[in-house]
Amino acid sequence: MKNKLILWLLVILLLVVVAFMAKDLFVSTDSPRENIYEYDLKELRKVDSSKISHKEVKQIKIQANELHGIAVDSKDQIYVSTDENILVLDSEGKQINSLKVRGEARCLTVAENGNILVGLGNRVDIRKPDGSLRNSFVVAGEKAFITSLTIDGDNVYVADAGQKIVHHYNIDGEKINEIGGKNPEAGIKGFVIPSPYFDLMIGRQGELWVVNPGRHAFEAYNSRGEQISSWERTSMSLEGFSGCCNPSNVAMLSDGSFVTAEKGLERVKIHLPSGDFKSVVAAPELFEEGTVGIDLAVDSQDRILVLDPVQKMIRIFEAK
Amino acid sequence: MEENKKNRRDFLNTCFRFAAGAGIVGIAGVLAVKSQKGDFLWQLDPAKCTQCGRCATSCVVTPSAVKCIHVYDMCGYCDLCGGYFRPNVKNLSTGAENQLCPTGAIKRSYVEDPFFKYEIIDELCIGCGKCVKGCGAFGNGSLQLQVSHDLCVNCNQCAIARDCPSDAFSRVPIEQAYKFAGFKSNKKI
Repeated sequence: MKNKLILWLLVILLLVVVAFMAKDLFVSTDSPRENIYEYDLKELRKVDSSKISHKEVKQIKIQANELHGIAVDSKDQIYVSTDENILVLDSEGKQINSLKVRGEARCLTVAENGNILVGLGNRVDIRKPDGSLRNSFVVAGEKAFITSLTIDGDNVYVADAGQKIVHHYNIDGEKINEIGGKNPEAGIKGFVIPSPYFDLMIGRQGELWVVNPGRHAFEAYNSRGEQISSWERTSMSLEGFSGCCNPSNVAMLSDGSFVTAEKGLERVKIHLPSGDFKSVVAAPELFEEGTVGIDLAVDSQDRILVLDPVQKMIRIFEAK
Repeated sequence: MEENKKNRRDFLNTCFRFAAGAGIVGIAGVLAVKSQKGDFLWQLDPAKCTQCGRCATSCVVTPSAVKCIHVYDMCGYCDLCGGYFRPNVKNLSTGAENQLCPTGAIKRSYVEDPFFKYEIIDELCIGCGKCVKGCGAFGNGSLQLQVSHDLCVNCNQCAIARDCPSDAFSRVPIEQAYKFAGFKSNKKI
């Protein structure tokens, strides 16, 4: 009888020990602890609503693995480059066409005559509006990496982030000039491009605007490669650009204002032609944290088209 | 019958001897393999790190054996460095009021226009990860936390690993003691 009692006590003791071990192994005692070294980036992502000038009016979902670039033609047709093809949509987002490309179309632009210029690594393909290849040329240099291109008449400008230079070609691929190389005598400081975000566009008077992301600057050049204007705004606040390389992508409104997209603090803003901050188009809260490569386009109605590569859609913003 | 009992005892004895011998050989083998592979150390994976601040507060060593390291080949050498400056600084100077690091453990020096170099002063770094978060958010993520093996006492159960909410700590072979992300990951420092 006594032995039986001891046996039962031992069994109970064993169960208690097993219960404690199970608790230690399977029950988490972690309670959320305050981080005394917290760097709260959420505060930086907040934007005063009075500074937001645009509202999102449409979202167009895109079926693709990766979205890279967006452009709009003179008829407001939308072109989106993906890792496999170029999608052509009407202004309301209905797909009209899908053009095959050879490789990953990192960037694109559309000429007045409807020709489509596509940047694929170190190659530029110029395609007719029906998608057939007109001509193609390669940017020389081991490090060549095309991140943006634009066309003005017969002049093709290619932003090469790898070699930190803008190449000037004619439409047939003959090289005319290099633009933006460091030249202290001419007052050109040279492009600072710590990561592969290097955008350019044609301004209202045919001038070439190039982003110098490492300096948070915009620089304007004429077709001879002479710098004719520049402005820079370095700031972590809304008034400027921060981080290693911003703005990452740009477009221009009909009044000459600059539309800018940033990474780090993902946001889309408008800067006046003078460079001063004007307003916010899309606040960081609209994007998933860590979104990079937000490309921009502006249509004839001054609607701002934002390519969101993470949420895989085109977001259209109109002035409030 | 008697002979049979004797035989069984002999048989069991032989079995026990064989098992003990096999055990000794096995243990010796495992030890030999282990001694060839070398030791293991604690390290954290920057890709998993969320800069929760526990590296600074949970380590048994004071200040923490976790330090920020600078992977220079990833750095943009920015003037406005998100890892160095507090948000909304008025001017980009080295004034203490402008610095994000709570202990002033980052030294900023001019290289050439527009580049600045940022060096970590190990003795001052407490491994809080504020600069890492700032650099990751605004820059290329060249500032990263790593267990510094000249300071780590390599506890059997690492106190930070136990507290780490993102499970970023693991034991790594001594030959690959560092795990920082970047172009030259796993290089020795």
